[in-house]
Parts: sequence; structure tokens; C-alpha cells
Amino acid sequence: MKNKTLAAGLLIIAILSMMAIFAPLISPTDPSLMDQNNLLAPPSYTHLLGTDSMGRDLASRMIYGARISLSIGVIAMGIATIIGLILGSAAGFYGGVIDTLIMRFTDIMLCFPTFFLILTVAATLESSIFNIMAIIGLTGWMGQARLIRGEILSLKEREFIQASRAIGCSDFRIIFRHLIPNAIGPVLVNATLGIAGAILLESGLSFLGLGVQPPTPSWGNILIESKSTLGVAWWITIFPGLAILITILGFNFISEGLKKRYA
Amino acid sequence: MPELLKVKNLRVEFNLNNDIFTAVKDVSLEIAEKETVVLAGESGSGKSITALSLTKILPKNARIVSGEVFFRGQDLIKIDQRMLVKIRGKEIAYIFQEPTSYLNPVYTIGDQIMEAIMLHQEKSRFEARAETLNLLSQVKIADPERVILDYPHQLSGGMNQRAFIAMCLACSPKILIADEPTTSLDVTIESAVLELLKGLQQKFGFSLLFITHNLSIAKKIADKICIMYQGKVVEAGNAGDIFDRPKHPHTKELISAYQQIGKL
Amino acid sequence: MLTYIFRRLLAMIPLVLGISLMSFAIIHLAPGRPSNVDQSLNPKISLETRMRLEKLYGLDKPIHLQYLNWLKMMARFEFGKSFSDNRPVSEKIMERIPITLTINIISMIFILIIAIPIGIKSALNPGSLFDKSMAIAVFIGFCLPGFWIALLLMNLFCIQLGWLPLSGIKSLDFEYLSFWQKAIDLSRHLVLPIFVSSIAGLAGISRYMRSSMIEALSQPFICTARAKGLPESTVVYKHALRNAILPIVTILGLSIPGLLGGSVIFESVFAIPGLGRLFYEAVMSRDYPLIMAEVVLTAGLTMLGNLIADISYAYADPRIRFRKQ
Repeated sequence: MKNKTLAAGLLIIAILSMMAIFAPLISPTDPSLMDQNNLLAPPSYTHLLGTDSMGRDLASRMIYGARISLSIGVIAMGIATIIGLILGSAAGFYGGVIDTLIMRFTDIMLCFPTFFLILTVAATLESSIFNIMAIIGLTGWMGQARLIRGEILSLKEREFIQASRAIGCSDFRIIFRHLIPNAIGPVLVNATLGIAGAILLESGLSFLGLGVQPPTPSWGNILIESKSTLGVAWWITIFPGLAILITILGFNFISEGLKKRYA
Repeated sequence: MPELLKVKNLRVEFNLNNDIFTAVKDVSLEIAEKETVVLAGESGSGKSITALSLTKILPKNARIVSGEVFFRGQDLIKIDQRMLVKIRGKEIAYIFQEPTSYLNPVYTIGDQIMEAIMLHQEKSRFEARAETLNLLSQVKIADPERVILDYPHQLSGGMNQRAFIAMCLACSPKILIADEPTTSLDVTIESAVLELLKGLQQKFGFSLLFITHNLSIAKKIADKICIMYQGKVVEAGNAGDIFDRPKHPHTKELISAYQQIGKL
Repeated sequence: MLTYIFRRLLAMIPLVLGISLMSFAIIHLAPGRPSNVDQSLNPKISLETRMRLEKLYGLDKPIHLQYLNWLKMMARFEFGKSFSDNRPVSEKIMERIPITLTINIISMIFILIIAIPIGIKSALNPGSLFDKSMAIAVFIGFCLPGFWIALLLMNLFCIQLGWLPLSGIKSLDFEYLSFWQKAIDLSRHLVLPIFVSSIAGLAGISRYMRSSMIEALSQPFICTARAKGLPESTVVYKHALRNAILPIVTILGLSIPGLLGGSVIFESVFAIPGLGRLFYEAVMSRDYPLIMAEVVLTAGLTMLGNLIADISYAYADPRIRFRKQ
């Protein structure tokens, strides 16, 4: 593949996904298993990435953490994209009052700093994994909505759309079979960036204690312990953070690669 | 009459993604004092590049491969950048096709003209301002006091072109190079600008290198004509000779095309 | 110009109303009533207190009346009393504003000082080693989790090297220091938070400046500037830069929500007593009056930031400031 960036990104994400899907098979031990003899132990043969203060194997926790982070990222962005698609295409296609209302709503939502919005909702709900996905999705659709609206506005007047109207296609059909497939390029690019963003948000939330709750491992909540073990247990700080970094790099590579393809 | 500018075998190449494109192939021409030379040809024949190369104003991917441009005994291609910068604007000035986009949108007309004056002459801001007002009235702008405070987007194309000409005349250049200065203007404005240029040439005594694809303009103002085609000068000579007895097939094509539309 | 400002202000009104509605909706429509404080989180609130609070905040009234009440409170900048210590919310917020404001403003200045020259230099030599390495640095910068970098830097500078203090904004003996020593103490405490806060902005603005400069340098009037005989430095810094830098003000304004959101994280990591940390504490203790107030405040600041950015741009760009005759 000539598009090296895209290839690199896909490779990284493929490896991570494999890790996530086959976690039970790959993981050295059970992530909640506490090895009392090896509390806060540095990396060794028995524990490749070390252990945390409760003796749990870091490598296992991180592999299971991949499951959590990736699935939250993808599903949250999926929710955001669906909401964005619906609102954006309605606004772009119908125009007029509907457009104004939807765009005003988008503007209002954009006035709230994302993190504040997410934390506020997190304050009213319990932190289940589904809730986290929902919250991130419900607060992150604005970019997609604007993007799709823009694409549809420019595609709307093209000949093939007017032709499909002429032969009597229903609005629904026009939107879903003609407009959206042609607008999908930038949406996909944005979606991959969005997944990276969602993973970042989830790890931030978990780090603050409002995301994935222990003992379920998430890269973010493993890092909670690094605050208290700074300087003593470097492995707890380095590895989860590195994992987040690499994952986000992977998705950004994909996004850059897609940009080159659809540009 | 002695030549003011002598171009010998100029060759300019463009590097487009590792493909070399030769835009100007061994072009030679001469401009004498107070002479009007028209560089005519179709779009893409290399006229503009030739003109810009004379003072080495070229985009980063372009390169002057060989040739000489003699001006007052110096080869402009070879001299130091510091000396070249003193000749640009002062001895050789340029007018471009679309005046509004060739003027900086964030500075007033007055500022841009005064900048040219203060760059090459030892004048105070106060003196430069007076000079600017004078120049603006020389190019027949009705209300110089107001125009000096205007921004390019506030004026029409024709006004901007006049102001541009004023800016070029700021230091009484020896050669004025006009690259299709009337192409983007309305026909009525076009003849007014041409009249203006001719009149100013009488007054200030500069040579004019006028680039155009429009042979009817060429006929009106040229002393000498150079016809360019695909980067080469295919025919050159006195205007009268070229129009009455064209030799090169491309020249004949151009002339007959204009005659057919009834413009010659 | 004045008509432009006026129109923008007018357009802001529905936005303000919308913000008040949204913040109200988020809290009140979410499952779990605002007064339904989890006993385990805040044992101070007994059933009796809860019912008193409900009455106080009119939570027993129908929802549209509650909203009007909320609007009235907002208009008077009264946000009630904090659940955790009964102090007026506005007081608690006002205490914290100076610190967060200081950090964010210094952050923005820092970003401008560093990112603009980097962008310009990259634009002047596109494809050079400098440009390419900056591009890589920016890419990685966008991908770094802020809190992770904060932790790493803390480890390096505070623990391993011992150059900087670990947390807070003042040392324990702050009160006893001279003025100059106080200034240095504050700076040492704020270095890391400001740096962490600026990373995303640095990456974004240097990239933006680069493309803005490249675009400006390709404009026709640059050719004119060169043809006039201006030295290259004047062409770049007087003619190109002035055009390229116009949108930067807008970008800065648009980065306000990002900066505010980011402050929640780094203030928690560095134990800075600012608005972000206050918000975090409010969320953890389900202190709804405080939460609502901060949400509205930050949304308002964002809106204000956008407004100032738009107006500054309109003022700076003569094409908008002076309409055609």
C-alpha cells in the first residue's frame, strides 16, 4: 500500500484490537488476581510489566484495559456520528427553520467546554460503562453534524441529486442512498479522530475517578495509582500512558492516511 | 538610440514535482530608451515569466538556468541581491494584471505608495505624503486626499490600477513593465488607462515593456513587437513591419484571428 | 463596524437563553433528582435537610417555574449556596477565578510567543528539517494525554531533579518571604501547570500559523512587494505576516473552552486551587448549585471569548471594518 501512514495506523489499531478481542487468551493472568508476594514489583519475568500496589499484574490489566478503552472509544464515537448524521443531514437537506434550529442548538452545545459538560452529566449518573459511552457520544456529535451539513449543502445542488428528484425519489431515499454515501469521506476522517478523542476523554474521566471504576481496569484508572507512586514505581506511570499515546497515534495515522485518500 | 535593456538567451525552468518544464527558451530582446516594446502571445507562451525573470522575481520552484540581462552595463542575473533590490522599483517597475489582488489589503493606498517613495528616496513621511498626492493627481484620480486613506477593496479596479501606476512612477523608473494591465478592466476603462500610460510615458520618459495577448492594443501603442510562442520568441521587429509583413506562421495566425473578429 | 458589533450582540441573546436552558436541562432532566444526593457521598445531608433544600430551591414546584426561577437567579448572578459548606457559590467561584485566569492568560501568551515564530519559520522553509521535525512534534503533541505528560514532568522535575515544587501554588513558608521571593516561588509552582496547559495550543497554533503564512506568501501582493524592491525581511514581516496573523485572534478565542476544560485535569494533578479543581470537587460531592454555576460560567466565558475574537477580527481586517464605498 502506497499510503504508509494509513498502513501504519491500521497496523497499530489491528494489533490493539486483537489484544482486546483475544484478551482472555493473551493475558498472562487474571487481571484481578493479587500476588501478595509481589506488591508494587518492578517488571520481571513473572510480571512482564510489573505489578501495582495490590499485587495485580500490570500487563494483564493493560490488556483488559485495551478492551475497555477501545470499545468505549468506538461505540461512543459511533453514537456521536449517528446523532451527527441525523441532525446534520436534516439541517442541510431541509434548510430553513429546521436548519436554523438545529444549528442554534449545535452552537449552544459548543459553548460548553466538553469536559465540563461530561463531568456534569457524570455527576448525575452512576459511572457504568454504558453511561460513559453514552455521555461521550451525547456531548461529541457537534463536529460531525456541522461537517455533514456542510457536505450536504454543497452536494444538494449537484445534478445527480436533481436527477433523482426528477425521477421521484423520496427524501429519505435521496438522503440515505445518494447524499450520505458521497459525503462519507470527511465524516470517516473525523470519526477516526473522534475515536481517538473519545479514548482520551475516557482515560481522563477514569483518571479523575468518574469513568471506569476499579477493579475493572482501564488505562486511565490504572494511572490513578501513579499519582501516589511517582518516583517509586515508574512502570505504573509509563506503560498505561504509553498505551494511550500509541493508540491515539494509531487512530491519528489512520485519519491522516484517510485524508490523503479522500483529499 | 542606445539600448537600455538587453536580454540574451534567457532560459527559465520550473521544477514541478521532479518534472522539469522549460517555460522560457533562449529568449532575447532589447528595449531602447523611451521605446514601447510589446511582448505579445497567447496564454502560456512564457511572456509573464520572461518579464518577472528580468529582475529575478520568480517563485521558489523556478530557476534561471542561463542567459544574461544587461541593464546599464550590469548583468542583473549575476549581481548581488542587495544591489538588485535597489534596482527593483527604482529603475525597473512592474504593473500587474489584477490591481486589487496585487495590492496589500491591510494597508491603505497611501501607505503603500509612501512605502515605495521612502524606500528609494531620502524623504520624510511628510514629504512622501505630498509626493503621493501629486502622483495620484498625475494619474488623473479626482480626489487624492480621500483615496490616500482608502483600502484597495474600497476602490474600483480602474482606480486601483491608476493608483498602482502612481506607485510605480514614485521613483521615476527607467523601464515600466506592464503585465496585461488592462485585461481585467472594462473596455472603456481600458482605453482610458492606455491613454494615461502613453501620456505619462511622454511626460516621464520611461520605456514601456507591455505584455498582452491582445494584438489590437499592440497595434495602438507599440514601437516594436516580440511575438512569443511556447517559450520562444518567434518573430520580432518594428510594429509596422510585423503587421504588414508577418513572417512566422504563428504570427500570421494571430493576426488573421484578430482580423476575423474585426479588431485589426 | 458598530452595526457589526450590535448585530453580534443581538445574536448572542438567544445563545444566552439557550445556555441557561441547556444547563438547567442537563441537571434536572437527568435521572436522579438534584436533591437526591447519595447518602454515602454526603452523609451531612439528612432527609430533613434534603427536604428543606428542596423547598429552598423550589425543587418541589413544577419544572417550568423552576426554570424561570433559575433564569432570575442567573440574571442576578445569584447561584445559591454550596451544598458542601453552605457558603455562597459566587464567593467560592470568585476566590478561584484569579488563579485560573492567570494561568490561562499566561498560557495564551506563552503559546503566542513560541508558536508564532515556529509557524513562520516552518512556512519560510517548507519541507526543511526544521519544518519536518516541527510537524512530527506537533503530531505527537496532539496525541499526548495531558494528565500523563503532567505526571511524567512531575516525576522528572520535581522528584528526580528536585528543581520544581510538587504541587499547589505556594510553599508553606510563603507568608514569610519577601516580595521578590514570593514572585519566584509562585513562578516555580506555576511553570509546569502552564506548560502542560499550553501543549495543545502550541501544537494547534504553530500548525495554523504555518499554513496561514504559506497562504499569505503565495498571494499576488507579495510579488508586488518584491517588485517594489523591498528587502525580503520586510516582505515577510510587514506584508505577509500582517495578513497571516489576522485569524490568530479568532483561533485564540476559540481555544478558550479547550483551555478551561483542560484546567480540570491539570489543576487536579498539580493540586492548584482554581476553577477546574473546584468543579471537580463539586462533581465528586454532587454539589449541584456549584456545578450549575460553573457550567454556566464557563459557557458564558466561551461565548464571551468567541464574541471578542470575532470583534477583534472585524476590527483588524480592513475589508470588514471599512465597507466598500
